[in-house]
Amino acid sequence: MKTDAMPLRHRVANWLALLALLLVGVVWPPVFGATAESNEPGDARAGSLFLCAMPCDGRPLQALRQSTHIRAQVTGNVARVHVTQKFENPGDQWVEGLYVFPLSTTAAVDELQMLVGERRIRGEIKRKEEARETFERAKSEGRRASLVDQERPDMFTTSVANIAPHSSITVEIAYLDTIPFRDGRYALSLPLSITPRYTPGVSLDPADLNVFHSAREGRVIAVASPNATPERVTSEVQHAEIEVDLMPGFPLQTVQSLNHAVTTETVGAGNRIRLRSPTVPADRDFELVWTPVVAPDTHAAAFAERFGDETYVLVMLMPPQMTAERVYRREVLFIIDTSGSMSGPSIRQAREALRLGLQRLQPTDTFNIIRFSNDASSLFPISQPAVGVNRQTAAEFIDSLEAQGGTEMRAALNLAFDIPRTPDALRQIVFVTDGSVGNEAELVALIHRRLAGARLFTVGIGSAPNAYFMREAAAAGRGSFTFIPQIEHVSERMADLFRKLENPALVDLQLHWPDGATATLAASPPSDVYAGDPLTVAAKLSTVPRGVLTLTGRSGGGAWTRQLPLQVVADSSGIAKLWARERIGELSRQKKLGGDAAESESQIVSLALKHHLVSEYTSLVAVDETPVRPVGADLQAQQVPTSAPRGSAWAQTTGFAPTATNAPLLLLIGLMCLGFALALRVNYSRLCVNAERHVA
Amino acid sequence: MTSKKIAASALLALAGIACVAGACWIHIKAMAAQVLINSAWDRARSDGQPAKPWPWADTTPVARITFHDRRTLVVLEGSSGRNLAFAPSHDPASVLPGESGNSVISAHRDTHFRELEHARVGDRIRVERADGSTLLFKVSSVTIVDSRKTRVALESDTPRLTLVTCYPFDAIQPGGPLRFVVTADLEAGAGYTPPRRVARAAALPRPVPVMGF
Repeated sequence: MKTDAMPLRHRVANWLALLALLLVGVVWPPVFGATAESNEPGDARAGSLFLCAMPCDGRPLQALRQSTHIRAQVTGNVARVHVTQKFENPGDQWVEGLYVFPLSTTAAVDELQMLVGERRIRGEIKRKEEARETFERAKSEGRRASLVDQERPDMFTTSVANIAPHSSITVEIAYLDTIPFRDGRYALSLPLSITPRYTPGVSLDPADLNVFHSAREGRVIAVASPNATPERVTSEVQHAEIEVDLMPGFPLQTVQSLNHAVTTETVGAGNRIRLRSPTVPADRDFELVWTPVVAPDTHAAAFAERFGDETYVLVMLMPPQMTAERVYRREVLFIIDTSGSMSGPSIRQAREALRLGLQRLQPTDTFNIIRFSNDASSLFPISQPAVGVNRQTAAEFIDSLEAQGGTEMRAALNLAFDIPRTPDALRQIVFVTDGSVGNEAELVALIHRRLAGARLFTVGIGSAPNAYFMREAAAAGRGSFTFIPQIEHVSERMADLFRKLENPALVDLQLHWPDGATATLAASPPSDVYAGDPLTVAAKLSTVPRGVLTLTGRSGGGAWTRQLPLQVVADSSGIAKLWARERIGELSRQKKLGGDAAESESQIVSLALKHHLVSEYTSLVAVDETPVRPVGADLQAQQVPTSAPRGSAWAQTTGFAPTATNAPLLLLIGLMCLGFALALRVNYSRLCVNAERHVA
Repeated sequence: MTSKKIAASALLALAGIACVAGACWIHIKAMAAQVLINSAWDRARSDGQPAKPWPWADTTPVARITFHDRRTLVVLEGSSGRNLAFAPSHDPASVLPGESGNSVISAHRDTHFRELEHARVGDRIRVERADGSTLLFKVSSVTIVDSRKTRVALESDTPRLTLVTCYPFDAIQPGGPLRFVVTADLEAGAGYTPPRRVARAAALPRPVPVMGF
């Protein structure tokens, strides 16, 4: 034993210290220590005797409050969602509010209404800078105004100016979204919480803190830290109210809310269901899943809508239930994110997903595992056959994975692409992550550039994964994606993924429009369509089509054809908007992959303005006519934090640990007590002396 | 009347002693734990195995920091309140010192980080890592932030060390919102050994069920 080498003096010191710890630990009731060591500063402040409920300067915090109400109306494959945000100002000052919130990555945000008393003020779509100017002007003139910006594809901000003291402003945002039929189920996802991509670390003088708050207008936040994004998360759980009116158009077998409790009410013959969830914790995404009684095995439809003198078509198709061609040998590379953001339940889910993935491998397949946090390393230098001893090594490796450190995804991807390929095998990369990165575009471009015939599949883990990254990475990797919201869903979702991994169902897909009509597709269809993945194609047609749309491809080792009649639906059903939203997404994607930025921008702007959509270059702004804030009254800017995902590092810790003990306070109280005791004692002695004199 | 006064004074004296002892206990715990953790660190360094500071500990020392050339403190993994009572604690969401990124270490202002008050820009902080390498960080900023409005950035292009404690140092009440933040950057070439490319997660033991005080 090396400990024998330790000098005697050290050993004695050790024993003494241990004894001191034990002795005092035993005789001292732990109650006193507990307040200083409480894990949750919030709890300590609220419940403890010694700590106050106010900040140091003694003024109670009169923070701006925000409450969210979401109303979703689902008709068939399309959802119309209204998000109502109420900003309440309980303080005595005029307030400008900022709130960062997540939305579905495919949401087409097209409506903003500001509710002032009984009046509704409609928002207008403008170029981002113009909208900002309009907002700022209204703000300085004392008029109520609200602005909705897109910060990231799935992250939006609402700014509200001139909220009067002790009053509120309500903002209603509406968007259109498609409901895909994936893996035998429909899913409506309403994101409620944000996984911070980068935590803004800014060093600020306390005197400047208000400046930091009002930083919005000039983006001082970004100046203070180049890594900062506007989200500010809180470990306190906020709540949202959710209402869903579900009209799927067919009898339902099951309806399930995966993360929150809901009450359901069936209207009519089971074709319409209302769900209510009075207040749900907003620390995880709301996921509603429903399945039809009869699985639509020939699920394919094409809808057309007239918009002005143009025709927009939306094609939805389920790929055939067979594989395109048999792949005999696969090389599966698992990449697992072990960064700090994966700590808690996420890493357990990821480990479980990996174990199941390993089980599904055939002995002829080869595999490897890459873990990464701030560095990346692989289990084997070269992929190994999925046989006994290798599986055993892998299982032990998986058990040892812990979440800690940064998110160096680039290193992990480069390592995966650098590993020599198994000859005569199709390489498939399974990427297990929560995607909490800010450099999505760079990573997607990297996948696109280095894929070289491999396929990349993403597995989104946790209560609020970065859905945008999962989709984009899978699209660039010619693969598919799946989400595992909770540990119970691991086996089901991994089974779905492995069905896809086994083979694409449809390849070489082509669309043939009737009458020689030419179409502008929002995005080119994927080259591989996987079992269970819906294919959605949005197109703008030059002429009003007559006849049928023919789809051709290869499936089950032979040619595959399907003909679809075009059903013309009512105007303003939203197909044009959905096309525009997808087209904007595609233009933005091309730009990030190295396309002409100026050209993409001008196209996105004109599309967004034409279809009234919020985009990276356009925002919605609503301004009230009459000034309300008296001239000279101050306007204080406040940001309402968004809930951090449950179980994430942000939810478990505050940015700063409570780093003060109550030793000084205890000492002060103790000394005061002793002082009083002494005073009483002295008093008593004097009393005795006086009494003796009296007797004498 | 007088017997009541005697009782009151005795009670007050008892409460006073209890409180003072409570305050002392916090300091004794902080100091005694450092002795044990320090020797656990030496043991770990000599035989290369992560060592537990006391038999029932559920955490291991991850680094040893020295500032002002005299105050040497061993850092524990995980900034829970319990760990903070024993030692400066490393935030598990952040990287370990010397790795690319920001390593965040917090400690109590009354005990371990009392001397951080004297930190100035340009001061050197020596960090010994569990893998045996020693790094030198140079203080690049000393700031006071409001913890309600600020978070520490975990990302950094170069290895960075952030030491955090409560502010003001002589405040009586705990739980205030202000934090004293010392940021230090790795001095290029000063004994920098890059992190080993190993599966660090695999090298660390799994935590055992929580036990302690």
